[in-house]
Amino acid sequence: MPSSSLALTPGLGSFLKCLKTNPIDTSIETLISLLKRRQIRHSRSCATATAYLLRSVISACRTTDSAKLIERVQSVGRRLMAAQPREMVVGNIVRRVLGLIRDEAEDDRDAEFALSDIGSESQPQTPRAYDDASLPLDRDSPSFRAEDRSSRPPLTSMFSLLSHPEPENSLPSTPGSSSPSGRFTGHGPSKDVRAEVLEGIGEIIDELGQVDDQIAAYALDHIHSNEIILTHTSSTTVQKFLLKAAVKRKFTVIHAESYPNNHEATHATVSGSAVSDDDNLGLEAFQKPLIEHGITVILIPDSAVFALMSRVNKVILGTHSVLANGGLVAAAGTRVIARAAKVHQTPVVVVSGVYKLSPVYPFDFDSLIEYGDPSKVLPYEEGDLVDLVDVQNPIYDYVPAELVDLYITNLGGHAPSYLYRIVSDHYRKEDISF
Amino acid sequence: MAPKQKAGQKPKPNTAEEVEETFQAVVLADTFETRFEPFTRDKPRCLLPLANTPIIEYTLEFLANAGVEEVFLYAGAHSDQLEKYINASKWRAPSSPFKQLTFLKSTSTSVGDVMRDLDAKHVITGDFIVVSGDVISNLPIEGALAQHRARRALDKNAIMTMVLREAGLQHRTKSTSVSPVFVIDPTQDRCLHYEEIDRHPHEEQSSRLNIDAEIILKHPELDIRQDLIDCSIDICTPDVLSLWSDSFDYQSPRKHYLYGVLKDYELNGKTLHTYIIKDQYAARVRNLKAYDAVSKDILSRWTYPLCPDTNLLPGHSYTLRKGSMYQETGVTLARSCVIGRRTVIGQGTSIGDRAEVHNSVLGRNCKIGRNVNLNGSYIWDNVVIGDNSDIRGAIIADGVVIGRSCAVEAGSLLSYGVKIADNIWVEKGKRITKTRNDGGVAKNDPQVVGDDGEGYEFIHGEEDEDEDDDVSIASSGLVYRMPNLSLSTASISTLSSEISDASWTRSDGGSFSADEEDNFHHDASVSLFDSLREGVAADVVQLELVTLRMSANASDNQVRRAIVSSFMKHIQQLMEGGKGAGPAVSEVFTAYKEVVERTLFDRNKEEKKDQVDLLLCLQNDLIHRNKGDMVLLFTAKSLYELDLIEEEAYDQWWNDERSSNSEEMRTVRSQTQQFVDWLAEAEEESSEEESEEESEGSDDE
Repeated sequence: MPSSSLALTPGLGSFLKCLKTNPIDTSIETLISLLKRRQIRHSRSCATATAYLLRSVISACRTTDSAKLIERVQSVGRRLMAAQPREMVVGNIVRRVLGLIRDEAEDDRDAEFALSDIGSESQPQTPRAYDDASLPLDRDSPSFRAEDRSSRPPLTSMFSLLSHPEPENSLPSTPGSSSPSGRFTGHGPSKDVRAEVLEGIGEIIDELGQVDDQIAAYALDHIHSNEIILTHTSSTTVQKFLLKAAVKRKFTVIHAESYPNNHEATHATVSGSAVSDDDNLGLEAFQKPLIEHGITVILIPDSAVFALMSRVNKVILGTHSVLANGGLVAAAGTRVIARAAKVHQTPVVVVSGVYKLSPVYPFDFDSLIEYGDPSKVLPYEEGDLVDLVDVQNPIYDYVPAELVDLYITNLGGHAPSYLYRIVSDHYRKEDISF
Repeated sequence: MAPKQKAGQKPKPNTAEEVEETFQAVVLADTFETRFEPFTRDKPRCLLPLANTPIIEYTLEFLANAGVEEVFLYAGAHSDQLEKYINASKWRAPSSPFKQLTFLKSTSTSVGDVMRDLDAKHVITGDFIVVSGDVISNLPIEGALAQHRARRALDKNAIMTMVLREAGLQHRTKSTSVSPVFVIDPTQDRCLHYEEIDRHPHEEQSSRLNIDAEIILKHPELDIRQDLIDCSIDICTPDVLSLWSDSFDYQSPRKHYLYGVLKDYELNGKTLHTYIIKDQYAARVRNLKAYDAVSKDILSRWTYPLCPDTNLLPGHSYTLRKGSMYQETGVTLARSCVIGRRTVIGQGTSIGDRAEVHNSVLGRNCKIGRNVNLNGSYIWDNVVIGDNSDIRGAIIADGVVIGRSCAVEAGSLLSYGVKIADNIWVEKGKRITKTRNDGGVAKNDPQVVGDDGEGYEFIHGEEDEDEDDDVSIASSGLVYRMPNLSLSTASISTLSSEISDASWTRSDGGSFSADEEDNFHHDASVSLFDSLREGVAADVVQLELVTLRMSANASDNQVRRAIVSSFMKHIQQLMEGGKGAGPAVSEVFTAYKEVVERTLFDRNKEEKKDQVDLLLCLQNDLIHRNKGDMVLLFTAKSLYELDLIEEEAYDQWWNDERSSNSEEMRTVRSQTQQFVDWLAEAEEESSEEESEEESEGSDDE
C-alpha cells in the first residue's frame, strides 16, 4: 500500500489535529459526527477526544464565572453523550471535568474563607460541604441539594477512615488530591478558575496515558508462577498487565478469540503482528508480544471456553465500561466466560482504568448494548438467508456484578461491592444525572 | 505519555497532506430516470425519506466517512428544493466535514451531459469519486483508493476503479430486471467487458452475452460475474471526464460509457478496473424494489453505523429496542396495539387500539386509527389512516389521508396529498397521485379514490419502455417475490453457441463480431436511409457513417450490413414509387458509389473476402424483400459496371457455400444465375490482357 492513503479517513488523529486550528463549535460538531459515525470508538479514544475537546472548550470560554463554565460544559457534554450514549466514558470524562470546576470554585470560596479563618485550612472537607449548599450554580432541585448536604460530610469522613492510603499518592488527578495545589495558588479572590481546571484536565489526559502502566504495576500481586490465565479480546490493558508479569514469571495464557467482532485483532495480538488498531496508541506501539517473553499462549475458539475452564486458575478480562453497581459492559462473549468461571469457581479479575467507571446505574441493560453489523455473523452474500432471518450482532455483553470477583484499577484492587465508593470519590453527586 | 502520543499523531497527517491533493467527489443527485414516479413529480428523488432520513444524507455521510473534502452536487429536477434543503442542512454549516460544497444546477438530461459539463468547468484537479445521490454505504473507501492510486502510478491508463459489492446469486438488494455482467481479469482486477442482460424470468434463452474473442484469447483467466451489486461508486482520474467529452453520444455511465470505453480499448488504450468488496455494505436505491430492500437492510443494521438510532439528522432521537424496533421520543402508542419487529416510528405519531404494525416505517406525526393493520409498508410524514384499514406493502407519501375500512394492497403507491375515501379498495400495484406531469392539479377520479377522495390513477409514461418491466418488478418486489433465474452458467453456454450461430457473419477470420450490434446497425441504417431519401451528398453520408462507426466501434461487416439494408430499403421505396428495378438500383449505386467503395479493402488481394461479404449481405437482405431476386440481379450488374466488385469476387461468392446453404438463399439468387453465367462466358472470351487492364484500371481508382 502506498503511503498516499494515510490518514484519509477521519479519526482521533485528524480530530486532535484540527482541534487546534478550528473554532470550538466546529470541533464540537466534528466530534459529535465522529462519534456518530463510530470513527472514534473504544473507551480510551473516546475519553481522550472528550478530554481534549473539553480543554479547548474551557480555554475558549472567556469567563471566570464557574457557574457559566459549568453550564457550558454541561451543554457540550449532553450533546456528546447523546451522539453515542453507549460510549459511557464520554459522560465520565464530562462529569469529572464538571467535578473539577466545582472543586475549584469551592476552593476559591474556601480561600476567601481561609483569609478570615485560617484554622479551617487543615480540614478541607467541612467547608467544602458548606460551600456545596451555598453554591449559586447548583442546577439540581432543592430537595436533591438538601439530601446532598446531609449525606456528603459523613461519607467523606468515612472514606478517609477506610480508604487505602496508597492510591491517593499514585493518582494526583483525583479531586481529593488535586485540591491542595489549588489552595496554595489560589489566594486571591480574582484567581482564574479556568487555569486550575485546565491543569486538572491536563492531569486527566495524563492519567489516560498512564493508566495501563499503573494497572500493570499490580500484575505481580495477582499473577503467580505456573498459573493458567484465561483472557478474551485484544485489550491493551490486559496485554500490558500480562506482559508486566511475564517479565518475572512464567505462566500460560489461554486466549479466547472473541469472534466475530474482535478476532482479527486478537489473532494479531497473539501472533505479535498487531499494528495497533487503537489509533490512540500512536508512537507507543505495541511492545513485544507475550510469546517473545517465553509465555505459552494458546488461542482457542470461544466455544472451547467452558471445556478449558476447569484447568484455568484465573480469568483476566478487559472491559468497555464499569457500572456503579459493579456490573460491567464488555465485549460480547465476556458474560459466557464469566459464567463458566463461576461454575468452576475460578476467580474473575477485571482490569480497567478508573476512567471507565461510570456512575450510571444500569436499570435497562438492553439500552447499554450496542448492536453492530450483522454481516460479521452472516455474510451479506447469503441473499436467501438475509431475506428470511433476523441476524443480530451485539458488540457488548452485560456482566452482572456477582460474576466478578475483583476489579483492578489504577487505584488498586477493589471488590465489586466497593466500587460505589470510588464512584462517589470521583464524581460529584450533582453531576451524576446532569 | 500524553505528549508522546501527540507527537506520534502529528507527523502522520502532515506527511499525508504533502502527498495528497484535495479529495473531490461528484454527487449525481438526479439519475435522470423515472423509476420513482409519481413521487418524483413533487420532490427530487434524493430527498425521499429512507427509514425517515432523506436518501441524500446517507450519500453525503458516506462521503464524509471517506474523508472527502470537496463535493460537487449536481441537481436535476426540482433543483430548487434540493438547494434549499442542502443550504439548511448541516453540510453547509461551518462544522461540515466538507471544505467546500458546490451546488451545481444543470439542464442536463443524462449523466453524460453532466460529466461533459463538469469537464468543461475545469473544477476537477485530481482523483475524484463519482457517486449517484442514492448510494448507501458504510465502506471506508481508502482500500479502493489506495489500490486505484497504486495502479495509476504504474500505469497512467488505468483511469477508473469501480466499487462492486459481492452479493451472491440471488439477493433482495440486487436489481432483478436488468442484471449487469462484468467480465473481469482477476489477476489485474481489470474489467474487460460489461453488458447488461435483461432478465426475463419466464423466457428460456433470453440472456446472452457477447464477448469479443480477443478477450478470451488474450487473458488466461477470466471471471464472468453476475453476482455483483453495482453500487455506482467510481473512483476516477480526470481522464475519465475527457473521455466523456470525446464521446458526445454517451448517456449512461454503465450501459454506454463503460461498455463503449471497454470496446474501444484498442483505440484509446484506457483500462477500467474493479474493486470487489466482500465485507462492507454498499447499495443503491435504484428503484422501488431497491427502496424496499435497502430499507430492510437499514432496519436490520447491515448498514451499521448508518442506522436510524445513529440519528443522522439533527433533531432525530431514535433509540433502538430489542427486535430492531426504533422509536423516537414522543410516540403515542395505545395500550393494546402491537408493534412488531423491524419497525421505525417517528416523533408525534400515535397508534390506536388493537392496531398492528410489522416490518414498517412510520414517519413523524402520523395518526394510525384503531384496528389498523400495517405490514411491510412505508408511511412518510403526516399520514392519517382511518380505523379498520389494512395496508400491506405500500408506499404512502406525506400528507395522505386514508379513510376507514380501506384496503391498500401490495405495491400501491399513494403520492403526496392523496385522499382516499372510506371503504375503498386500492388494488395491487396501483399508483395514485394528485400532481400532473406539468405540475397542475388534475381532476379527481372517484372510481379510484372514492367520492370524497382526491387524486387520480397515474399511468406510467410511454417514453421509457425499458422501465416497464422495472415497474412490474418494482411493484412485485414489494410483494417479496424473487424470480428464479438461470445465471452465469447459462450465459457461458450461450456464448459458445453464439460463436457457431454467428458463423455466417464472420467477416475476417479473427473476430467473431456478433450479429446483434443492434444499436449500431439500427442507428446507422436509419440515418443512412434518411440521407438517401433526402438525397444528401455522398461525402456527407460517408462522414456520418464514419462517425457512427467510430463511436460504436463497429466492424466492417456491420457497416456493410447497414449500408445494404438502407440501400435496399431505399431502392424498394423507389420501386414502389413506380420506378423499375434496374433504374432504381443503378441510380442509387451510382450516386453513392463512394460510400460502398469505402467498405471494400480487398481490391488487390487474391481472396475477395470483403466483396463476397457484401454480396452475401445483399443476398441475405433481399431474402425478405419484395422482388428480391430481381433486385439482386440488377444490383450485381450495376456493382460490376461501377467496378465495385470484380469478376473473381462474383465467382467466389457463387461458389461460397454460405450463399447456397438454404432454400431462401438459393431462390433469391436464382435470377442472378444468368448474370454469373454471362460473366463466366465473358471471362472465357476476353483475353488476358483485357482482364489485366481492367484490374489495373480499378487499382487506379
